[in-house]
Amino acid sequence: MNLYQPHLVRIEDIVDETVDTRTLNLAFKSPETASAFDFKAGQFGLFSVFGSGECTFCIASPPTRKGYIECSFKLVGKVTKAMRALNVGDTMGFRGPYGNHFPLDEMAGQSVVFIAGGIGLAPVRCVIWNVLDQRDRFKDVTIIYGARSVGDLVYKRELDEWAKRSDVKLWQTVDPGGQTPDWKGEIGFVPAIVEKAAPSAKDSYAIVCGPPIMIKFTLPVLKKLGFAEDHVFTTLENRMKCGVGKCGRCNCGPVYVCKDGPVFTAADLAALPSDF
Amino acid sequence: MRTTTYLSQTNLRGLAEDLLTAGTRVVAPAKIGRAPYQQVDYQRIAKVEELAMDGALPSRPLKQFFMPPTEILLRWKQKKSDVEIEEISTQFPATVILGARPCDAAAPGIVDCVMNWDYRDELYFGRRDATTIIGLACGGFDKSCFCTAVGLGPDATAGSDLFLTPVDGGYHVDVLTEKGESLVQAHAARFSDSTGMDAAKRFHADARKKVESNLNPVPPAVRQWLESNFEHTLWESIALRCHGCGACASVCPTCHCFDIVDEARGVDRGERRRNWDTCQTSRFTVHGSGHNPRANQNTRFRQRVTHKFAIYPKKFEKILCSGCGRCARACPGGMDLPELLAEIERLATSAEAPQLRGERS
Repeated sequence: MNLYQPHLVRIEDIVDETVDTRTLNLAFKSPETASAFDFKAGQFGLFSVFGSGECTFCIASPPTRKGYIECSFKLVGKVTKAMRALNVGDTMGFRGPYGNHFPLDEMAGQSVVFIAGGIGLAPVRCVIWNVLDQRDRFKDVTIIYGARSVGDLVYKRELDEWAKRSDVKLWQTVDPGGQTPDWKGEIGFVPAIVEKAAPSAKDSYAIVCGPPIMIKFTLPVLKKLGFAEDHVFTTLENRMKCGVGKCGRCNCGPVYVCKDGPVFTAADLAALPSDF
Repeated sequence: MRTTTYLSQTNLRGLAEDLLTAGTRVVAPAKIGRAPYQQVDYQRIAKVEELAMDGALPSRPLKQFFMPPTEILLRWKQKKSDVEIEEISTQFPATVILGARPCDAAAPGIVDCVMNWDYRDELYFGRRDATTIIGLACGGFDKSCFCTAVGLGPDATAGSDLFLTPVDGGYHVDVLTEKGESLVQAHAARFSDSTGMDAAKRFHADARKKVESNLNPVPPAVRQWLESNFEHTLWESIALRCHGCGACASVCPTCHCFDIVDEARGVDRGERRRNWDTCQTSRFTVHGSGHNPRANQNTRFRQRVTHKFAIYPKKFEKILCSGCGRCARACPGGMDLPELLAEIERLATSAEAPQLRGERS
């Protein structure tokens, strides 16, 4: 079996998150692969539809929940279109896990602030559940999540679940104009809500994923709140094909995002050329 | 292991004949097209008459014999909601490359680093391992050659298992590796004692002189300059001549970037393929969202140069270039890498203050 040959996975469940965003729950067809498979929060894989091609997505489910992996994707191109055409029971390909991961062992014993925008919640959700499944290893958990409109919020069932938990502080927001009459969350862009929520930087890590513009304006807010640059993590989403540091596509300055990333600290990003 | 031997012109052809008869695949510089309209290219040959060892530098490098322009990674067949995958073998037939120019023989050894970086590309190494490379000293081809500037040379034996240097009536042969040694042993009757050492040295010295006059050795200052001048004004208009066609990458012995795509064969079956690709096209890096980190040709060309002369050396301690000069020869727009390297050296070693584009956006 060569490096580029995927495992076969079966679609077990399909959840529509928004009009154009969907989550697939996938199980390995081979029982040996299923029991041997392990990964760490933040790693990604190459998901494929035979005949349409491969696409890179983070594994959106947490490694603490065994027996399946999930991927959440937005309809943007050929492969995602083909993925939407599949039904429960259909077969896809998966190669992975690839890349580095969030340093949860280093973060143990500390507080974690999760900040996400739009579909950027997918990689963060993996870490959120990992942390919540091991809740006693961490101090305060704060989640700040925003989308363009109420209709664009993903994982709505889980947002409701987190909102109800007493051991999670959840802030939800939509961009101005994106609210519905019954919207009870915040109205404003994510960086502004981070400033308003003002999570403490003391013994705390932050994980930020979302559109580049959101990350760009959130990082200075975190800095102002006192978060050290090496305690702020994000992921780069460069285009990839091989996932194993060969095809050259995700190269950015001295790093190959697929192998040296996708998880980087704010300090790492500041040192990279503006090529991502 | 470094012994020498001699191979006459007649015995070189005889060796090729022996290999072909034994069913070994032989790749060599060969004439293509009908006379007199002939070019020289590395080809799998079927007859000894096709050999063109002492002709022009082959128009393309050897990389297609290790990673073909398009290759099948797997075949799939849809059976209702199930999919069956047919694996592709990573075993390849024994191949002898006869007459590889030093720039072409050295290139695979450079690319090996990225192909074996934690993850081993078995398709690539399957071919590498099955291949014996018989290098051929180069006389210095033209003004675009700059192998001596990147630490190689027309006499460089890097990557060769055997290395031939033209001397009177045949070739002085350096035996460099176990693979080379076993090839000599298997065809011992073809080889005889060499007396051509001095003639070979003269050939090497003459060729070196020619190539060295094309470009000075690329100094470490060039890499340092590239690492710290990402925003230099040089890059703002660097690619005005560039068509973005990627010809430079396609003829480059060390460019190895690729794409992975599915090609359907009917409705229920197809192939997943690896195809050559290049950082010179806009679609290479464009995100699903439409955002493109390298949105114009200047930034794409900067990537090509920086990857070869700073990023790859930093990661793997090797310059990703063997100085063959094909990029300069093939470019329809007149982009000239040796000329640019000389310019970067000038910038890197002159006292001029760096010109920065200002605030990073």
